[in-house]
Amino acid sequence: MPKIVGMGYFLPSRRVDNRDLAEDLGLSAAEIQRRTGVRSRHYAEQGIGPSDLACRAAKIALAEAGLTSQDVEFLIFATMTPDVAFPGSGCYLQEKLGCGTVGALDLRAQCCGFLFALEVAEQFVRAGKYRRVLVAAAEVHSSGLDFSPSGAEVTPLFGDGGATVLLDGEGEGLLASAIHTDATRFEQFWCEFPTSRRPPARFLSADLPLGRHYPHLDAASVRHDGAVHIRAAIEEVLSNSGIQKQRVTRFFVQHVFRDAAFAALDALGVLDRATVGGEDEGHVAAASLPIALCRARERDQVNSGDIVCLATAGAGMNRAAALLRL
Amino acid sequence: MGLANARIVGLGHHLPEKVVTNEDLTRLMDTTDEWIQQRTGIRERRYVEGETGAADLGAAAAREALDRAALNADQIDLILFATLSPDYDFPASACVLSRLLGVAGTPALDVRNQCSGFVYGLATADAFIRTGRARRVLLVGGEVHSTGIDLTTRGRDVAVIFGDGAAAAVLAAERDPQRGVLSTHLHAEGKYAEKLWLEAATSRARPRLTREMLEGSKPRIFPYMDGKYVFKHAVTRFSEVITEALAANGYSVKDLDLLIPHQANLRISQLVAMGFELGEDRVFNNIERYGNTTATSIPLALYEAEEEGRVKPGSLVCLAAFGAGFTWASALIRW
Repeated sequence: MPKIVGMGYFLPSRRVDNRDLAEDLGLSAAEIQRRTGVRSRHYAEQGIGPSDLACRAAKIALAEAGLTSQDVEFLIFATMTPDVAFPGSGCYLQEKLGCGTVGALDLRAQCCGFLFALEVAEQFVRAGKYRRVLVAAAEVHSSGLDFSPSGAEVTPLFGDGGATVLLDGEGEGLLASAIHTDATRFEQFWCEFPTSRRPPARFLSADLPLGRHYPHLDAASVRHDGAVHIRAAIEEVLSNSGIQKQRVTRFFVQHVFRDAAFAALDALGVLDRATVGGEDEGHVAAASLPIALCRARERDQVNSGDIVCLATAGAGMNRAAALLRL
Repeated sequence: MGLANARIVGLGHHLPEKVVTNEDLTRLMDTTDEWIQQRTGIRERRYVEGETGAADLGAAAAREALDRAALNADQIDLILFATLSPDYDFPASACVLSRLLGVAGTPALDVRNQCSGFVYGLATADAFIRTGRARRVLLVGGEVHSTGIDLTTRGRDVAVIFGDGAAAAVLAAERDPQRGVLSTHLHAEGKYAEKLWLEAATSRARPRLTREMLEGSKPRIFPYMDGKYVFKHAVTRFSEVITEALAANGYSVKDLDLLIPHQANLRISQLVAMGFELGEDRVFNNIERYGNTTATSIPLALYEAEEEGRVKPGSLVCLAAFGAGFTWASALIRW
């Protein structure tokens, strides 16, 4: 079982609070706060992509591990907001970090991207293919949001940021994981355009005013299903590991609607030792959980040797959980 | 417990019915059949009709692969979809595919590694099977390029190359260590990302999509390729990664029964084959009929090679890919 031997996160310096958004979205700052539970989020500057944020985070992770970019044998990058349509952000990260010609796998699993990528990384390590794998998750949502009143429901939920962890095959850290997809109603939370399904072209100027290139959320059902799915994922991972929930030092739970995360934690009776990310970051999709974990370490809420549970649910619709020994 | 290899136990494919010949393209742009054939070896390709996505093609291919493996979709533990022309911005085409197959609960994710996507996906599937995390994996390559290329004279250098289609493989645990996927080799070099790329939509521009990106004299919504540069690197990296796969298993080129290169360009495949002194009987090419179908091309070629009896139980097969990223990859398989 591999272990996380380094982790780091990076948030762009530009902080955007609810007052900054209020006028464009046609809502008061208090109303944004009430609806989202988000106080502020960070936005990247023009020209900055997820690979830039991940690169800053990766340097911190490598430094913690006492390793350099030359020690990385394989990269996995999870994002739903890639730098460009293709190639993947993993290729950009590989170049920016200076990892020679090691492989760079780009995954899409939306909000669950980090936990899906961690599971993939674990298999590569356990199969003996690579010893040290860098798992990166980063998002620049802010360039793809609707800053008009029609974006009032969705836009304030999201923020930008990146995080990486370095996995090492020597050590025991990943205790159990569970990943699932149920796409029966994926249109609950999706972004339709650009779409290769649409002839004659995936996106046309005439599409710009339609707003189908902005994320769409069916708030009531995503909130409801999110709470159910997160709870199920946590119960599954506890059951698979045989570890009692009392032994878990801290639960890190992420959902685009923070109240769905709180509802799941409440139902499990573990609200007293839980972190729900996003209050100062917004929903950073794939990057949210590792950012929350890094920030909790900074605050000494978790320490080496602790067992922590990470869980999330999101677009796909995907759900995922993992138990880690730090 | 010994680790099991992953073995391909079923292949499937699905090609749109509409055949687009080079002659057909001459009605859309200033080009000729001779020019296209001389540079790429392509005679025709397929295009989807109506609102058809990569996942629709992929689902048809997956059903055939599952049939041939005598499995139902709900017996699959992991779904991987390799594409660079996804159905939607999000979620992943793997999600769309899983719904089309009527499964719920099976983890589904996209591999976005362009022309190397199938081999990256194969390495991922192999890792899940070797650790016992999955017993059976469905790996699909599916592409709808025809809605994302510039079918005018301005875009001809790139547009004539690409075609639509899907192919799928079902992988299962194989206890015989001499059979199945023997090894995989994955590489990337992001230094050359913009020698072959599609910029928009791009999260690093604020906003990601603008009228200027769509309508400027060089629309950024269409792929760009520095053809000569890509060609040169492709020949080198293909050769390296094939050698790497053979060497890792103690084989040499003489042991190889069939090389299946990603169908990027017939001239690249021919140069690579020449370098290894591989005759036509030991290299599989079908680009003349389908164009470059990126993540689909290798499983599509594998499907046809098996149909034609060129891959049989016991055959030593090397899959090799090179493409945007740059990424390149290989897999050595004992069929």
